[in-house]
Amino acid sequence: MTGRDLAARQAELVAALVAGGPLPPGFAAAPVEAARRALLRKRAGDVARHWPLLAAALGDAWPATFAGWAAGRPTNGSLRDGWDLARELGDRGTLPPLGAEELAAREAASRYDGRTAPRPRRLPAVARAGGAVAAQLAGRVRLLRPAPR
Amino acid sequence: MTGPSGVGIGWRPEIAGFVAGLPGLRFVEVVAETVAPAGPLPDGLAELRGRGVIVVPHGVKLSLGGAEPVDPARVAHLAGVAAALGAPLVSEHIAFVRAGGVEAGHLLPLPRSREAVAAVVANVRRAQAELPVPLALEPIAALFDWPDDELDEADFLTEILDATGALLLLDVANVHANACNRGGDPAGLLDRLPLDRIAYVHVAGGAEHGGFYHDTHTDPVPAEVLDLVRELCDRRRPPALLLERDGHYPPATELRGELDALAAASGYPVVT
Repeated sequence: MTGRDLAARQAELVAALVAGGPLPPGFAAAPVEAARRALLRKRAGDVARHWPLLAAALGDAWPATFAGWAAGRPTNGSLRDGWDLARELGDRGTLPPLGAEELAAREAASRYDGRTAPRPRRLPAVARAGGAVAAQLAGRVRLLRPAPR
Repeated sequence: MTGPSGVGIGWRPEIAGFVAGLPGLRFVEVVAETVAPAGPLPDGLAELRGRGVIVVPHGVKLSLGGAEPVDPARVAHLAGVAAALGAPLVSEHIAFVRAGGVEAGHLLPLPRSREAVAAVVANVRRAQAELPVPLALEPIAALFDWPDDELDEADFLTEILDATGALLLLDVANVHANACNRGGDPAGLLDRLPLDRIAYVHVAGGAEHGGFYHDTHTDPVPAEVLDLVRELCDRRRPPALLLERDGHYPPATELRGELDALAAASGYPVVT
């Protein structure tokens, strides 16, 4: 035993796997790295289920796009992970049209501050993302303008 | 308590229609975190309950192996789901999923140490005190070991089960994966586990990537895993076996074929 307690050692391992932390002492590097990559693949699949249009729009580039964004970034749940990624792609100007429409619809339906769980909007709202415009009234969301192709 | 029996399948929204159409099905499992205890049950699950199909809630985020005490709200949720589904038992993993306030998003292995046994046992007892039904514990698949194991896998699991009285949810695909990636003899492990404590068995597919066998639940069940089902049933046939599929859902005929192969390997009636 190293003499340090289990809680601290578990925290080190999680940090190495999802938060860009160093490999904790004594662990074999290759299997832990394989686990880190497998975890990113699994997360990419989970986020794709919550953001099907965003993932579909990126197609073959989805796993690498997601992994590039998510590496070193612990999950906040698949819904928020996809939301944060979509917003970042929007900021970079690389959000594909289908993803922009999905994001606009989500923004119209829910208020998301980027720090806590999204909450359904009670009031009517209009949201824009990447040229797409969506409106929400009484909980129903409609795309008013598709994103330019 | 009448626990699960025969061949079952993991209920997922994407394959709810397929599952509802299985005439011989007697039990399914649902990921506990996807069910709201107070709200309406997901479409399809209530119908299965109405047909008398047993639904077992399967937790994935309790972190029973965490060094910190298990979150009472998560235990209460699992207990509420069990009550809402009239479940005869619930299941969770011998693993941790968060530490230091950071979510791993995955089941992570524990060191096979006395300290880890004590942490799991304490958390399992905390959970058992609040759960209305028995708890079955599932050993996980992992790609790596901790550097300071004091026990082997069989002793580690047996100590936890003996100290808690919990049932065993044995995943033969995990046994196969661990043997591939971490060494050890899978049949030898079966010889040393308390097979009389098995509530039910998980079976899933996986695939080889970069020199490791990944228990993906998105690939077909390999022949080696079905061989292990036969090895297990030769020693002591478990009351129930469940196919887990979590994505890349194949055509219904392929999924039916996997369920039939599970029935053939275990000698239980076909459910398709």
